[in-house]
Amino acid sequence: MPYYSLGLEGSANKLGVGVIEHPLEKIAAYNQANVLSNVRDTYVTPPGEGFLPRDTARHHRNWVVRLIKQALKEANIRPDQLDCICFTQGPGMGAPLQSVVIAARTIAQMWDLPLVGVNHCIGHIEMGREITGATNPVVLYVSGGNTQVIAYSRQRYRIFGETLDIAVGNCLDRFARTLRIPNAPSPGYNIEQLAKKGRHLVELPYTVKGMDLSMSGILEYVDSLAHDLFQGKKNKQLIRADGSKVTVEDLCFSLQECIFAMLVEITERAMAHVGSREVLIVGGVGCNERLQEMMGLMAKDRNGSIYATDERFCIDNGIMIAHAGLLAYRTGTRTTLEQSVCTQRFRTDEVFVSWRED
Amino acid sequence: MTEDTNELLPTAEYSGPVFKRFEVDPSKPHSTSGRTNGPSDYVLAAGAVDRDAPTEAKDTRIGRLRAYITTLQDEVNEFLTERMKSKGEEERQDLVNSEEEEDEDQTGV
Repeated sequence: MPYYSLGLEGSANKLGVGVIEHPLEKIAAYNQANVLSNVRDTYVTPPGEGFLPRDTARHHRNWVVRLIKQALKEANIRPDQLDCICFTQGPGMGAPLQSVVIAARTIAQMWDLPLVGVNHCIGHIEMGREITGATNPVVLYVSGGNTQVIAYSRQRYRIFGETLDIAVGNCLDRFARTLRIPNAPSPGYNIEQLAKKGRHLVELPYTVKGMDLSMSGILEYVDSLAHDLFQGKKNKQLIRADGSKVTVEDLCFSLQECIFAMLVEITERAMAHVGSREVLIVGGVGCNERLQEMMGLMAKDRNGSIYATDERFCIDNGIMIAHAGLLAYRTGTRTTLEQSVCTQRFRTDEVFVSWRED
Repeated sequence: MTEDTNELLPTAEYSGPVFKRFEVDPSKPHSTSGRTNGPSDYVLAAGAVDRDAPTEAKDTRIGRLRAYITTLQDEVNEFLTERMKSKGEEERQDLVNSEEEEDEDQTGV
């Protein structure tokens, strides 16, 4: 019989539950996993608002049972067929993580199954590798909570560069709040659609610090431009070369161009350093087509390839937790109830990658 | 709600400077819509529409337990909030008293 696991993800405003199947043979690229179900519900706030921990946790608490039932039904799997229950142990927002770990502990005890705590970032990386077939890529992990350039070496995913302050997705989301554009389906998606209509590039601060990035200053800068635009204040930067006014679409376009160029720069440097020709983009911002296009141009110049997934796997989901957890389970990892405390700080390189030996 | 001999009745205890035991009375009405488990006031004021309310409790042992726990959680939440408020008030009063004492020392009164 194959291996089956159920994964629960709830480190931010998405609650995801997925069931995955691994064929019984050894862990290898040719031995592909099967996604049996991958359901998700997102906590959405009114325009101009972010998601507060308390309300996000409430969303997860009140939807988790419904989603677990739906995931099992779609997968056509009974609880007694599962090998383990996997859950996001961190990093993420404390209260939502707490809601989901309680659900994981409860079903693990009800169904007498072992628990496996999973690092959220490792979930993204392993699911990205599984879906795209990238063997040993440099990974750009870009989401609302994380921005990291990662490469694998000696059973650790090592961080080569990262944000020094806010994550790229957080920068985009907060600018969406300033513009008071809707949070559905996601603020970043709506920024992307506006950016497609932008034509004029407004120069913004470019803040690469070695292999790291800083985005809080850029956000502050573009926020102040948007305020000036809304209030009709005079500002040279808000006038195009032809004398017409800069638009909100131009600001979205400029913000994307600036921060994506920074991401491409540090990713390219990491590729050169480790001698890799593959780049894998994971995380919610990884869905952005312009980021994929810019990264693709860089990879092409290096005779390399870019790997990315669609929103089912880029955006936080339960199946990536089920997959990474099952890889760990198959190589002996178990999380006792005492060890199942979740944590807001859990770095990618803390995890011993027992399922890779290359 | 129906009662039976194997009814699951949750309890909670708070021990600290004071001790308090929380129990539910199964003869009273209970539901999963509690006084303290709704959306935050801030989010509602921002125009949020609540689509995340808990499902209603079924009239089964486990279903009734969900409703009892909501009642119990409300009482615990209100007790703890009240304690935090009174502790905050005590600390504020202590600060005012110590500042007044300092002022008296400086003026030599």
